[in-house]
Amino acid sequence: MNPNLLLTFYIVPMVVGLLFMTPIGASMTRSLTDRYSWMKHERRRHMFGLNLVVFVGFAISVHTTWIGNKISEGGSVCASASLFSCDDVIGNPLYNTVPFIGLSWGLLGMLAFGGLFFLTRSVGKEPDALWAESYLNLGFYLTASGLLVIALLISYEIEMQKICQYCTTAHAANIVALFGFWKARQMHENGTWNDRDEETAASPTSKPSSVKVR
Amino acid sequence: MNALKNDTAADVRSDIAIQVGALFFVALILLAFTTDPVATGTREGDRAPALEGKAYNGSGWTDFDLNDYLTPDWVSNDSSAAWVVVDFMDTDCPYCVRAAGDVYQYSNYFMKYAREDNGEPSWRGPLVHFIGSATQLDIAGHESSQQEIEDFRDRSGDSECAGSPCSGRDGAVHQFTYIDDLDQDNMKSWKIGGTPTYFLLQPDGIVAWASSENPGETVSDAIFRLTEELIE
Repeated sequence: MNPNLLLTFYIVPMVVGLLFMTPIGASMTRSLTDRYSWMKHERRRHMFGLNLVVFVGFAISVHTTWIGNKISEGGSVCASASLFSCDDVIGNPLYNTVPFIGLSWGLLGMLAFGGLFFLTRSVGKEPDALWAESYLNLGFYLTASGLLVIALLISYEIEMQKICQYCTTAHAANIVALFGFWKARQMHENGTWNDRDEETAASPTSKPSSVKVR
Repeated sequence: MNALKNDTAADVRSDIAIQVGALFFVALILLAFTTDPVATGTREGDRAPALEGKAYNGSGWTDFDLNDYLTPDWVSNDSSAAWVVVDFMDTDCPYCVRAAGDVYQYSNYFMKYAREDNGEPSWRGPLVHFIGSATQLDIAGHESSQQEIEDFRDRSGDSECAGSPCSGRDGAVHQFTYIDDLDQDNMKSWKIGGTPTYFLLQPDGIVAWASSENPGETVSDAIFRLTEELIE
């Protein structure tokens, strides 16, 4: 299969995840709320979107590791004479491992997104736990520090004058996840971190429900 | 651990930790079953890094890519695929200039230019391509240029190689390609510590021999030893 076409299998769910974390997600899911009641709740939609994005990040990291292994076998996965050639980027031994550690960037991505997936799944399952806020903070700082790694990898791509579209998608997943954690923290601080129906929540006279629906 | 034992919410986190761990494990199993990675590097058994750049073949400068010389699906008993010798050198390095005569002899023989009286190639083993990667070491007096690379290869011109005219170096014209690595890109990616350094690559691009790992053995001896079973 064309590697660029295959990439859409990652990009589409990532975009869907992002939409779930924005107000568009509410209008997008309005017709489905009768069937899937959890979609009524902003926090649940948000955590679903964040879980999806982080899972995409993990999956694409596995894929880049696979591409790196295939290139080392002498195979060609997405080589191209154009600007977009992940074979040239992932296959370049000068830049394809973490400095000083020697771990492949793909494997580092798997570890990072695996850790983030643990955080998002845990918070999604126990949003009112005492540790939920610190997990959200941890996720925020982890994805924020990921920006430094992304900057380093982009500098490598500039040096090579090639772009790895798979790596770029993984970078995008990190940035979207950063937005997700940031917004989740905002929701926590603003008091919108609950299971109130949006219609109820929008009413100024309504009181917050003390019963949590999980 | 205490928190996990005592916290009422610990079940969720431990369950999820197991789930994420399982997911990671499945991913590793998938990678292990579908790929057989070979480390990229310049030690024997590694896959040789990329070798690219502008190259001079005697008539002009063209784009060079080592992959064009390789046979990725090579099997070890196939004598029809070509092996590759990469010679990292500097036209101003005295050792490289001194070795130019030997390099001429080896390349002429293993690239099958040397012929018997009956017209058959003297070398009955697999074809061995020679490729020179001419760098410019960061040493005073080692200023080189594409013109100097041309003059070194063709044994001609007015350039000076290590203080003497390139046209007077040992050996005849090198009938193989020289890559312009004056910016040291290839040298860095191949982790070359000094020149000359030689590598013998299998047709599939795996480093079969490196001069740095075999200080007492010449390139020709290495080719004879490693292609012994492929000689007709």
